[in-house]
Amino acid sequence: MEILPYGENGLRLVFGKEVSLAVHEQVRKAYLSLKALSLPGIICIIPSFTSCLVVFDGARITFGALADLLREKKEEMAAEWKAPRLHEVPVSYGREYGPDMDSVCAYLGLTAEEVVECHTSVVYTVFAVGFLPGFPYLGPLDKKLFVPRLDAPRVKVPEGSVAIAQLQTGIYPFDSPGGWRIIGKTHLRLFDAERPPYSLFVMGDQVRFVSV
Amino acid sequence: MAAAIEVVHPGWLSLVVDAGRTGYADIGVPLSSALDGLGLAVLNRLLENSDDAPALEVFGIGFSLAFSADTTAAITGARVSAFLDGAAVEPWATFHAKAGSLLRVAGVAEGFRYYVGFAGSMELPRIMGSFSTNLECMFGGFRGRPLVKGDRIGIAEARKVEHKAVSESHLPDMRPPHALRILDGPEKDWLTDDSFNKFCDIEKNLRYAVSAKSNRSGIRLEGESLAFREGAAGSIVSEGILPGTVQVPPDGRPIIILFERTMGGYARAGAVASADLDRLAHLKPKDGVLFERVTPDEALRLNTARRGFISSLYKTIGG
Repeated sequence: MEILPYGENGLRLVFGKEVSLAVHEQVRKAYLSLKALSLPGIICIIPSFTSCLVVFDGARITFGALADLLREKKEEMAAEWKAPRLHEVPVSYGREYGPDMDSVCAYLGLTAEEVVECHTSVVYTVFAVGFLPGFPYLGPLDKKLFVPRLDAPRVKVPEGSVAIAQLQTGIYPFDSPGGWRIIGKTHLRLFDAERPPYSLFVMGDQVRFVSV
Repeated sequence: MAAAIEVVHPGWLSLVVDAGRTGYADIGVPLSSALDGLGLAVLNRLLENSDDAPALEVFGIGFSLAFSADTTAAITGARVSAFLDGAAVEPWATFHAKAGSLLRVAGVAEGFRYYVGFAGSMELPRIMGSFSTNLECMFGGFRGRPLVKGDRIGIAEARKVEHKAVSESHLPDMRPPHALRILDGPEKDWLTDDSFNKFCDIEKNLRYAVSAKSNRSGIRLEGESLAFREGAAGSIVSEGILPGTVQVPPDGRPIIILFERTMGGYARAGAVASADLDRLAHLKPKDGVLFERVTPDEALRLNTARRGFISSLYKTIGG
């Protein structure tokens, strides 16, 4: 675990350089532990693929003091947590729901059935929630499905779109611009600002797609 | 008649903001706070509202609203020439609007975004603990969208507040060019030393211009592109991001991230010192921007000095 400063009010807890489930598990443990500890001066924790960004109140604690405190809590931050939740996400693949399915098939030399089979055969991990409220960064994706991002991002990706890019897959919670390739659509609502807990997914959850 | 305000003209963009939607960054929910935090804080002090009260954030001329009942109001942020039924309104000061009167902003003399508030509570729901509008996802604020002509917002517990004004000598400087102090960012070393040093050497007077493509999420800058070291990837594994971060995409054109993102995937070359964050609200298209590199210790000193300035400002309004 590396502790690095970022700006005046940021402290990065970095657990590795490469994206992996092992690194993710360390990030998840640190995130859940720090949340439970609710240490004074910490404003929020943003967990992602390889790190936790701890945002602190500089008027209450200095970077140095917080770094010392976190080093002290190192063992608590490696505590075991209960197994993550598993979500089943129904997806309509291809046709009008997945406008990039044909180009993805052409790029990979696979049929649509093979893409669906491959995409639904893995239990994915939510590595991070961000970019948009409730957007799950899911992975790892089977290498057989590796496609580059679109050269020019779409101005509007419809809400519920299930998309892939490089070794990731994700679901758009809102209509928004986006550069990933859309292969399907779910009717599940991923984010509701008026109903706690607001986001269907939290970092660490697991997801299985089911073709409907 | 119950107190309310009605938008007669929204200017170029007006929306409801507050001090920010904190506590949900781990599920991707950004602050969406007022860009000029000091402008909002002073507004609420002038009006004797609580610190977490909402206000209208506006830019552009022509903004106009009608008061349905006697109301105390104020405008902070950019220095505007505003008129209440033809009488000039003092900047960063309270004024009393009579029922039926019309407020109109005719020009902006200095700065970009201005804040309009009222003594009392705007009748709006708190969404996820905040009144701020998340424009991208269309929630919070007034029905999750910018204000348009005809929108009406009730003011509960409208109060008359005695006249208060920030003294002229304490109005923040918002004139371009904007000199921004920055700390090294996590991926500063991905850029060549030559390129980064030039970028933030204020003596060289290398100016960037604010792009017209800037918005509430980020300020895009036009000027000399930053150069990546050979072998440095243009993008990072997406990670948490702080407001004021200077991001550099593979094309080398810097973007200053504001309060609408929790994660980013581009190299974070620098971070604007917190003492200069409020200034970002007043970078308007075509304004010149210069960067000056500071150490973490210098940034802390700047922040202490800034807090001193703010408390002396509060003293001028008896707060």
